[in-house]
Amino acid sequence: MDRLRLGALAALAAALTMPLLAQQPPARDASAPQAPSASLVEYNDEVARTRTAGVDFTGEWAPRFHEDEPERVPGPELGDYLGIPINDAARMRATTWEASIQTLPEWQCRPHSADYIWRGPSPLRIWKEVDPVSRQVTAWHAEWLRSVDRQIYMDGRPHPSPNAPHTWAGFSTGKWDGDVLTIKTTHLKEGYVRRNGLPRSDRATLTEHWMLRGDILTSATIITDPVYLTEPFIRTTDYELDLHQWVPPYPCQVVEEVDRPAGRVPHSLPDTNSAVADFAHRCGIPVEATRGGAETMYPDFRLKLGDITSKCIAAQR
Amino acid sequence: MGSRVALAWALAVAFLAAPPLVAQRGRGQAPAVSPRAAAPVDLTGYWVSVVTEDWRWRMVTPAKGDYDSVPLNAAARRAADAWDPKQDEAAGEACRSYGAPAIMRVPGRIHITWDNDTTLHIDTEAGTQTRVLRFGPSPSAAPAGQGQAGEPTWQGQSVAQWELGGRGGGMFGMAQAKPSGALKVVTTRLRPGYLRKNGVPYSANAMLTEYFNALPPEENGDTWLVVTTVVSDPQFLNGRFITSSHFKKLPDGNAWHPTPCRSS
Repeated sequence: MDRLRLGALAALAAALTMPLLAQQPPARDASAPQAPSASLVEYNDEVARTRTAGVDFTGEWAPRFHEDEPERVPGPELGDYLGIPINDAARMRATTWEASIQTLPEWQCRPHSADYIWRGPSPLRIWKEVDPVSRQVTAWHAEWLRSVDRQIYMDGRPHPSPNAPHTWAGFSTGKWDGDVLTIKTTHLKEGYVRRNGLPRSDRATLTEHWMLRGDILTSATIITDPVYLTEPFIRTTDYELDLHQWVPPYPCQVVEEVDRPAGRVPHSLPDTNSAVADFAHRCGIPVEATRGGAETMYPDFRLKLGDITSKCIAAQR
Repeated sequence: MGSRVALAWALAVAFLAAPPLVAQRGRGQAPAVSPRAAAPVDLTGYWVSVVTEDWRWRMVTPAKGDYDSVPLNAAARRAADAWDPKQDEAAGEACRSYGAPAIMRVPGRIHITWDNDTTLHIDTEAGTQTRVLRFGPSPSAAPAGQGQAGEPTWQGQSVAQWELGGRGGGMFGMAQAKPSGALKVVTTRLRPGYLRKNGVPYSANAMLTEYFNALPPEENGDTWLVVTTVVSDPQFLNGRFITSSHFKKLPDGNAWHPTPCRSS
């Protein structure tokens, strides 16, 4: 009797749960565009979940200087433009540069721009801004030791008018390409692609691709500059997750570093700075190669160089 | 009273059983899909390395003792300081700087093809090398010679797997995102070689982990492949040696021109 009763009750319970199963919404194409809900009342939980994509870059990231360490930590040498697709205008301007310009009060606390900062010697912190209702990531923030807080908007907003102010961080929007975060940045202030005077104009745009593989963050930065580059300039940089790291404050204070006449800006006149060839001579690399250009970044340039053994040893600088 | 308790238990059991039933809907026994068919990205084709980083160590032969940027230990520095390219050439070891841990940093074109449904090939112009990436279970991190067969080679034994993203999770089962990801390759059984042409060494105990990332096309039509390379070597490295190399896709193999290994 008990068994019969129990069986009947189980059948009843199953009958009650079947409609619940039948009410499960049909599967949707995750890639199909979905209009976000305007209010909590209209909020569609499934929309939010299917729009969830990508990975979480949140964390403290330690730079690894296993590429270009001499350039990135102590700093590049004057006249080293190897492998950068610059044009003549960039080359000319770079040869007028003098390192002591960094001592000017206007330059001392200048942060690295969004495009260069990846190659700087700085720890990185990334965090996300989350909408409390939809729980969607509306922006990523990236901040290095010597940078401003950089925001990357994920809420689909458009870029502002070309006449809007240009800043060190520029204006960045992101979107997911699978688990790769692709970021477009415009409105950059004039900056540099290398810390030896190679300029980057304020008309340049930046594309980034962030990739998280294991505990390694790789960022590809691609700069397009109609003023100073003949081809897009790509670099890829790696950071390791380091939960013990802390980005310290950078309370930069302007001081009088050099006693010089007011208004004096350190520079060389075009084609007068013979020191720009010192790097080539010291390293045994042809001067023509050190002057850079797109040709120097492709493997076939080695045919033009011939068999060369460099004489450079960074530790002997 | 007893029937009420039984009813409560029956309902509880039924509701507990419901979520797994929901979660299993539509899954069934999916037919086996080959790695080639399951590829979330297309890595095949001709690619050219674009050398905008480490130029002085890649485009020319670096000076002996120029091992900046590499986390070498004292034994490795001693080995690098003893580098003798003529001796390597004479010993038939001219390919020491073309092994798997270094080859993606050597300037040149590469050609990626499917050899079959479970094997990718990477042919390189530089040194005329062929890497064979076989899909299968990950190798253990055991030192070379333990549980693996075959003589060590310049390109070692590489096991590949797709790193698929967007699978979601959680108690309510996050929706399946569009397939995406990278190719992860782990290589062991390496013949000792050089991380750089000037004798910066890696040992037979080195393990190479790589991630091949195919990026979405750029606005100007460029397509990039980024390879993140992690070399671990308890014999010669103080820590992981991490680099990333970028390649631009080529329309065809017209410029393909393989060259032999050179020791200097």
